[in-house]
Parts: sequence; structure tokens; C-alpha cells
Amino acid sequence: MRDIWTVAWKEWREFRDQLLSLRRGGLSALILALILGVVAPVQLGPEWVQSKIIVGYWPFLAATMVSSLIADSVAGERERHTLETLLASRLSDSAILIGKIVAAVLYGLGFAVANMLIGLVAVNVAHRESAPILFGAQRFVVTIVLTILASLLMAGIGVFISLRASTVKQAQQAFGIAIIVLTMGPLLAFNALEYETRTRVALRLAALGETRIEAYAVGGLTVLSVIVIGAALARFKRGKLVLD
Amino acid sequence: MAGVNDFAIRADGITRDFGPVRALDSLSLQVPKGIVFGFLGPNGAGKTTAIRVLLGLIDPSAGRAEVLGLDTRVHGAVIRARCGALLEHPGLYERLSASDNLEFYGRAWHVPRRVMQERIRELLTRFGLWDRRDDPVGRWSRGMKQKLAVARAVLHRPDLVFLDEPTSGLDPVATAGLREDLAALAAQEGVTVFLTTHNLNEAERLCAQVGVIRGGRLLAVGSPQELRERQDSGRVDIAARGLTSEVVSLLHARPEVESVVAKDGRLTLGLANGASVAPIVALLVHHAVEIEEVRRARATLEDAFLDLMGAEPGGSGLGGARGAGGGAP
Repeated sequence: MRDIWTVAWKEWREFRDQLLSLRRGGLSALILALILGVVAPVQLGPEWVQSKIIVGYWPFLAATMVSSLIADSVAGERERHTLETLLASRLSDSAILIGKIVAAVLYGLGFAVANMLIGLVAVNVAHRESAPILFGAQRFVVTIVLTILASLLMAGIGVFISLRASTVKQAQQAFGIAIIVLTMGPLLAFNALEYETRTRVALRLAALGETRIEAYAVGGLTVLSVIVIGAALARFKRGKLVLD
Repeated sequence: MAGVNDFAIRADGITRDFGPVRALDSLSLQVPKGIVFGFLGPNGAGKTTAIRVLLGLIDPSAGRAEVLGLDTRVHGAVIRARCGALLEHPGLYERLSASDNLEFYGRAWHVPRRVMQERIRELLTRFGLWDRRDDPVGRWSRGMKQKLAVARAVLHRPDLVFLDEPTSGLDPVATAGLREDLAALAAQEGVTVFLTTHNLNEAERLCAQVGVIRGGRLLAVGSPQELRERQDSGRVDIAARGLTSEVVSLLHARPEVESVVAKDGRLTLGLANGASVAPIVALLVHHAVEIEEVRRARATLEDAFLDLMGAEPGGSGLGGARGAGGGAP
């Protein structure tokens, strides 16, 4: 566990330095925070806090943020010639891999939570009501859990791809294709169904109710994350990585 | 007589193939504890592959190696925990400061926080980097980065340090500075240093023992002095006047003379092992050659190295020999 935090600490130091530099990504993060944390909440008002959409909105945004940096995780170390030194250290395979995933998940989660809180303040300031406008407790918890799981899945896929890519660019390209297949694939498959079948599936989903759909989403993301991270761990072969 | 525990490294016939390329070929080697050992060879000789095998990063195709008494195939993780390494590249995180780079590896090796802070200060001060400790390493010169990488390799006070061409690419001043730092470090910390280099001057000054490798095969091992002496034994330089082609022919005809080069009033003779120079001098005097100076040549490590490179088929000296091995992919 200690070694996982050590790797996560190093990754965070690198993110931090990247974020503190306006040229290297700080500016885009600032613009995003301004749009997502201030402009959108002020325009949408209380709806921004109370809508059911937030359960999918924040996990999606967090996963997008994770996707912007995870392809760099191993391929970047390889490209910058730091990987072999890292592999020659006493850190175990799992500590290196999971440490990188943990850092990325914390980055996605931190981004989502920070923007949710900034947005909450913005909504309350711009749309002052007699009682403070707050997230529903259950919805907030579900949103956070889904945000963690979506980030975890995205980080797992990213690390899995990054392990074999020889450059960051190659990893980003492969990762982009994987994301398109994963997001568009189910939609295209759904659209390929007969109209009656689609209607039946939609009605069945609606009949499930919000809580059940959320539970299925949590279960599905957990299973997928475990599979992907397991596959990445199996793919992490120190001897092969050194020679790549 | 040295016991099993007196060796930091024991390699017994290790071979490593990469497809059709044999990078290490039955390499057997013993490195005593507490010395600076130089592993010399041209590019692609198999030096980096040897380090990777010894660190347990890759398995040998055949043979076995023990590092600090541990089998590299089985105990790679323990070996890495007890060793430090500066590999082919400095391996520094260029966006991080020097302190952060060292702190990361200090944490990785579980160095207690207070000890680590003191050690970081001590090493950065010793290498003259303390004032720049908060700068991102990416802004540093190559020499500074190499020094920082050496500091990182010894931060956790390892029993054994692998340094893969630590002065490669440095200018002569930076090379001399780093060499002095390495010598001081090895002497003060009592650490075993396994150093690969193709800088023979560096090896001669730093190393108690050297091994010469080419095409994955170990050609010679011993102290720099022993290697020089092997080369020294047969070479004699004579400054003389009155050398004629007849005298040179007579020298050629003598059984103990293996080679004769006469140029600008100087004779360079290669004598058979153990042969005395006195009969040669007598012959020259007898043929009215005026001798001004007779000197047994003092070979450098470079002479010995080049001789070893030339002694093997395909040997072409520094930077050129590839032989059977292709080095690390």
C-alpha cells in the first residue's frame, strides 16, 4: 500500500507541476473550471444541482479528464527514458501500475468534486433562495461512487494500452480508438435493433427505476474495471517492458 | 582464499539470446565486495545486458548469476531492493525538482523521512547541486543530471551500485569532476560499484579490477595493472643510430623476436614472453649500432584493451566491435 502511494505521490507531483504551468495544461484546466464550475451552474440555476443528469454528467467528465493524461502513464515514462530506472527500483509491478491508476482516479475525482463545489457556491450566490440549494445526499453519494468507478475504468483501459505503446502519441491514438469503440459500439448496436426491440428495451429500462439502474451501473463498472486492471497487471512484464 | 560471501557478484556461464543475436555468451565473473569494478567493452559488447541480468530485470537464457548471494532468477525484487542503479539514461523526471526526484526514490526505498532529508542535503551538497535543488531538472545541464542520477543511485545506501557509463556524453571537465565524486563516494561509503564504461582512462583511475567484454564474451579480467603488465612484457623501444636493413633482418631472424618496427631511428620490438633484451642489445652493438636509449614500454590500459579487441576475430577496437553479440536491443 505504501508503495502504491509513493507512485501516486510522484504522479501527482508531475500533474501539479503541469497544472501550475499555464502553458502546459494549467490554462485549459482553468478554462474548464470556469465553464463547468461557474458559467454552466449560473446559467442553469438550481436545476444544475437537482437534475438527475448529474449522476451521469460528472462521471463522464471525470473519465474524460482521466483520459487526457492516462495514455502518458507508461508510454510517457518509456519515451522520456525514465521507465527502466523505475523498473530497476524496489517497487513491485503492482505498486507501479496501481499507483499510476490511483493517481489518475484521484485526479478525475478531484476535478469533479472541485467543480461540483465551485458550482454549488456559484448557484447559491447567483440564485439566492431562502434555503441553501444542495445536492440530494443519496444522489451525491451515487455520483461520487460512479465518478470513481468511471475514472477507474478509464485509467485501467489507458494503462493497459499505454503499457505496449512505444510513444505517447501512439498510446493516445490507440486509446482514442478504444474510447470511440466503447462509447459508440453500444449505441450503434442498440440502433441496429428492430424498432420494437428497441422500444421494449427502453421500456424495460424505464421500468427498472433510478435506483436499480444506478446499482447496475455501479456493478457493471466495477466488474469491467476489475477485468481491465487484472488484464493490465497480467500484461505488466518487467523483462518485456525493459526491452521494449 | 575468498569465500562465497566475499563476492558481490558471481556469474556462472550466463548466456542471453535475443532471437538469433547472442548478447551474452557464457559469461563467468566474480566481483569481490567493496571494490570498484570496471566492465569495459565497445558499444554493443553486452555490458547493458549484463547489468539487466544481474539486476534480475531479464532472465539469462542459460547459466546462473548470484548478486549479493541471491539468485537473479528467483530473487530479482530483493536484489533490486539492495542495489542502486544508474542505467543507460539518467532516468530523471524532468518536470520535477532535484529534491522531488530524490524524495521519490527515497520513498520507494522506504528511507525514513528525516534520514532521507539529511541524505538528500548531504548528496546534493557533495555534488554541488544543493543551490539548484528546487529547479526542475529539465533545465539542468547533462553533467548536473548525471551527478543527480548518481546521487539517486546511492541515496538509500545500497550494498551494490550499477553505473552504466556514468560519464558518457560529458565534457572532459564534467567527466573529471564526476570521476572524483565517484571515487570519493566509493571510498567513503564502502559500496561495491559495478561500472561499465568505454572510457579506459576512467577505468584505470577508478577501478580496482576490470573485465573486458566483447561480443558478449569476457576476454580478460584482473586489475588494470595486471592487464597492462600482460601487454608490457614483450615490448621494447630502442633509440639508436646506424640501423641498417641488414640489422633489422638479423633481428627478424631471432627466435625471441616476434615483431620489428624500425622508423626514424627508433626500433620497436615485440619480444616473446620472458625473453631478455640483453642479447638484442649485444647484437646491435656488435653491428656498430649506436644505442642511445633502451626502454621496456609501459603499456596503458588502452593498449591492453586494444590488444584484446584485436586478438579476437572481428575486433575493431573502441566503439566499433560487435562480434557475435549485438548488445542490448
